[in-house]
Amino acid sequence: MEPNPDEPSGGDEVARVASFVPGLDAVLCGGFLQGGLYMIQGDPGAGKTILASQIIYGQATQGGRALFITVLGESHGRMMVHLRPMLFFDPARIPEQVAYISAYHALDADGLKGLATLIRREVQTRGATLLVLDGISAIEAKAGVGFEMKRFTHELQTLASATACTMFLLTTATGATGAPEHTMVDGLIELRHRHYGMRNERRLIIHKVRGSGFLEGEHAYRITREGVTVFPRVESMLALPTRRDPAPRKRMLSGIASLDNMLGGGIPTATATTLAGPSGAGKTTLGLHFLTASSVAEPGLLFGCYEPPERLRLKAATMGLDLAAAEQQGDVELLWHPVGEYILDELAHRLISAVRRRDVKRLVIDGISGFQEAAVEPERIVRFWSALSNELRALGVTTLQTLEIPELIASEVRVPVDGLSSLAEVMVLMRYVELRSHLFRLISLVKVREGAFDPAVREFTITDAGMIIGQPFEGIGTVLAETTGEAASTVAAAAPSEDGAPAAPDEIIGRTR
Amino acid sequence: MSGMALVLIVEDEFAIADMLEMALTDEGYRVVLAANGRQGLDRLAEGPLPDLVISDYMMPVLDGVGFLRAMQRSEAQRHIPFIVMSSMPEANVRELISGYIAFVRKPFQLAALVRLVATSLSTSTPDS
Repeated sequence: MEPNPDEPSGGDEVARVASFVPGLDAVLCGGFLQGGLYMIQGDPGAGKTILASQIIYGQATQGGRALFITVLGESHGRMMVHLRPMLFFDPARIPEQVAYISAYHALDADGLKGLATLIRREVQTRGATLLVLDGISAIEAKAGVGFEMKRFTHELQTLASATACTMFLLTTATGATGAPEHTMVDGLIELRHRHYGMRNERRLIIHKVRGSGFLEGEHAYRITREGVTVFPRVESMLALPTRRDPAPRKRMLSGIASLDNMLGGGIPTATATTLAGPSGAGKTTLGLHFLTASSVAEPGLLFGCYEPPERLRLKAATMGLDLAAAEQQGDVELLWHPVGEYILDELAHRLISAVRRRDVKRLVIDGISGFQEAAVEPERIVRFWSALSNELRALGVTTLQTLEIPELIASEVRVPVDGLSSLAEVMVLMRYVELRSHLFRLISLVKVREGAFDPAVREFTITDAGMIIGQPFEGIGTVLAETTGEAASTVAAAAPSEDGAPAAPDEIIGRTR
Repeated sequence: MSGMALVLIVEDEFAIADMLEMALTDEGYRVVLAANGRQGLDRLAEGPLPDLVISDYMMPVLDGVGFLRAMQRSEAQRHIPFIVMSSMPEANVRELISGYIAFVRKPFQLAALVRLVATSLSTSTPDS
């Protein structure tokens, strides 16, 4: 809602100003409030100037007019040099739409009164819709932090409201202190660094926004040539899914008929299936079967962290699965995010964006460990995965997610992350057993929350015709007797947790004893 | 009305009063300030009479209602065009006072208010 230029009276609703910073408007629940006074604070190098510049150049593309006022900060020449590599920077906007002026002399000669007068005149004369005032700490050094600073802040607030000019004060202060400008501004945004061992993550925190909700807590952000990108914390942004979760009524074929039989007709749609097993057990192979069954009606996506697309295509081809053709037809997309220094929420937002872009219905996440590697705060992972899984369900996505378990051959199988198994409706256990100098691959269903299933432990092989699941493995008793020296039983299925309660530490999902 | 018209601003919020004063001064108007209705009446008594009054509604000492009613009791002052500003809806204000030429809901848009002043001064005469 833009203000009517001929109507002096303000309306009941305040219009929003888009930030042009990906992710930030979501954190702000819709953008900045037009005519609001915001403080952006943070350590030197946190990206305050880049953030403010991105906002004003973004708004300039929509006809906005911005005024960037400095006091004792970076010279305008140096600022231009630093902004030049940024893709949003458009020198053609200067000075008509983006003007840079120094208020040093006004402040030095006439104090805060002189500075306020200069700002009022410039905002009105230039018809500014955005103002950035860089150097609040210098202003405080000149004027002190007492009553005069409060008065100045109040004057700016009044001017911002009366001119519909959204204002940003940049300062190096940190934390939500009781400084006058902190208590009086409409919104307080902090940019900070966090160190995790040798890693550094940038975090954005909204301390307050008057008259609007916002996503509380820390949100990671990255600065690239495109500017600042904020990745709203998934547990905060998706605390509730964006759509109603369609209760699973149908079954989706897995691409392996014998597995569908074990599942009682296929995988329940809009659910998560965890494929748990040691490295090389065949988790990705099963995922490729599922993916190659994609179609126009059921677009597929593989979101991988380990094997690059070329290797996946080759792997599929050796099993007679034409993944490349499915890609060319647009039925499948392969996205590869090798384990590096990704931000956990960045991965989630890329995943959700890719799902929404093609209305993906078949998703393979290969694997959960890649997300764990990106998590600088491991205690988040279960809450994070819960929110992500709920959103995928709500989007009608049937997900196969691989989970690597450390034991190559073991009588007990433990999920490496507490509570993760309860977040999936279906748990498939894939593993090796050794019997008389031979390795066998076994597959079993540990749980299928939506219905009855075949609990047999079956042998499977990977051939040039793909994964072949055979009869129940008759040698299981012998295997167990040899490995434990005890009378064998069958694989014990972990009790499914219907209420989603966190599982016990080192949750055991399969045991032979 | 010439650009040298005199405007009386009666407003207890200093930031609003200062901002309006500067904006109208920049447009060539002469501006007198008062922080409440009582001070506004004092300015009127001191003279010269303004060509236009812009008054807040809620103020200490004497609010906009008392101020306007006092002006309306004065033969010399009742014809001065009067603009009311308030953060309340006009319906609330209209229950208590009448005779003003325009109502401006806060928070207002400065540029539009300056244009309203120009329009009000050009269409109003002391006897209208």
